[in-house]
Amino acid sequence: MKAVIANNLSKNFSQDKKALDGVSFTLEEGAVFGFLGPNGAGKTTTVKLLNGMLMPTAGTCRVFDIDPALEPEQVHKLSGVITEHAQMYDNLTGFQNLIFYGSIFGISVDESRKRALTFLDSLDLVDAKDQKLSAYSTGMRQRLSLARAMIHKPKILFLDEPTSGLDPESAQSVNNLIKDLARDNGTTVFLCTHQLRYAQEICTNYGLIDEGVLLAVGDIGELRAMVFSGMTITIKADYYPEGMSIHRNKDGYCEINVQSEDEIPPIIRRIINGGGNVYHVSARQLSLEEIYFTLIERRKEKRRAKK
Amino acid sequence: MINPMQIALIKKDLRNITSNKRLFSVMLIVPLALAVVLPLMFILLTIFVPEGMSDIQSLLDLLPQSAQTGDPGHMVINLVLNNIMPVIFLMIPILTASVMAASSFVGEKEKRTLETLLYCPLSLKQIFNAKILASFIMSMMVSFISFITMILVVETAMQLTMGSMILPDIGWLIMMLLVSPAVSLIAIILIVRGSAKAQSMEESQQRGVFLILPVILLAVGQFTGIMLVNSWLLLGLGIICAVIALLAMKSSFRKFNYETLFK
Repeated sequence: MKAVIANNLSKNFSQDKKALDGVSFTLEEGAVFGFLGPNGAGKTTTVKLLNGMLMPTAGTCRVFDIDPALEPEQVHKLSGVITEHAQMYDNLTGFQNLIFYGSIFGISVDESRKRALTFLDSLDLVDAKDQKLSAYSTGMRQRLSLARAMIHKPKILFLDEPTSGLDPESAQSVNNLIKDLARDNGTTVFLCTHQLRYAQEICTNYGLIDEGVLLAVGDIGELRAMVFSGMTITIKADYYPEGMSIHRNKDGYCEINVQSEDEIPPIIRRIINGGGNVYHVSARQLSLEEIYFTLIERRKEKRRAKK
Repeated sequence: MINPMQIALIKKDLRNITSNKRLFSVMLIVPLALAVVLPLMFILLTIFVPEGMSDIQSLLDLLPQSAQTGDPGHMVINLVLNNIMPVIFLMIPILTASVMAASSFVGEKEKRTLETLLYCPLSLKQIFNAKILASFIMSMMVSFISFITMILVVETAMQLTMGSMILPDIGWLIMMLLVSPAVSLIAIILIVRGSAKAQSMEESQQRGVFLILPVILLAVGQFTGIMLVNSWLLLGLGIICAVIALLAMKSSFRKFNYETLFK
């Protein structure tokens, strides 16, 4: 069964304001899907549509074969959601909050208590469990939100900017948790973020969205293929043979684009045979960040051309 | 009709308000003033300021002949307890229900906890029902506690000063079992209906004031003698309020979906 199917999903908040415009994608169970895009691109709108909080203007979506527009409660049983606006109760302690959320998901108080303790332990919040939430820092709140969203063992987690506003250390620990969760429990993760480096560390698939339009979907290889699937090698040498197409950088470094690793040794051989010394060779593929910016830039150019 | 998940929600709402000292004190001080201090003042006035009686005499003349027996002091207190107090007492459920409903609906929205709640596997209607019930339970509890306290205080004061008892009449039964629940429900529903638009708890609580106005008019009517509350009037009022409450409850659900709540 597919975890998520979105079919031509569109949402207009008013006549001329299209929040989402014909978005289609599918998500396999167990995937960690990075939904990337600038602020206001339609990421949160998508999460709300997939949880039945908004009704689509056109198109349909299904979460584990349930239509969230028709049976939102059934989707909620399977999904855990973290958004910026979904806060918990300041006047309750972290532990009480988790027990409360457990019980409104139909879990007995004893079982909620047991699960809460396990989560508090793995999220490093045991010491703060009896503190009121008002005393929690942003990072602690965010980690507790993660526990709250997982208390009913959801099959799919929707995380809308789970690391925004966190210091690098907290962000790292939240990301590790998400990674572990997907690996150990097979939980499907729908992660909205604009922190591309973290996304590349934990996601298996990506969707790139800008101004409500899905620009690309796929794993990193498929996205790369849309921009440049080869690799860039960086060389530092004191001699470059004639006719070698290089982009000279400062500090004597040069960049050469190649299609595959196999092309690297001949290049080096040519430099050495020509009497040059090689000080540095490194090869890398386009990072998610570069792909993202290239695709967003391409779209902007297209829009400009239209005008 | 009510499932365990809703009960958890109701318990949380009740605990939420009792742990908020500011809101809870508002909910306790006003009933205390209305149900304890006010009747005590009447009793003390009647006993220690007999000159004031001449004004009250005109009020007493309005009473049905059957009630115009016995000691004038006793009669005044009887009038206060059984005719004037029920109307003033109505403010207690209105106020409690308004404060509680505003905290439960708009307060959650303000503190951004409502969205979290909406992601639970309860339907919107179930969530709203649970929250309406929580406000209703709170309002009824405060009303009954106020009533019992008032009766205890009045009886004790009567015993100490006049050495006789005065009994609440059947009107109070109608009041506590029909009018007060119905009016609470109306107050709650007024606030729930406004909750989608209201941005702050204070703004929302003010809607409850609209309900206090007719009560004040009724109370003024009592003192000026235009209209004296009796059991039949209370019964009629109660039935009308109950019908309004039920109709309002039905129609308000149609207005709500997730989308309107998020605006």
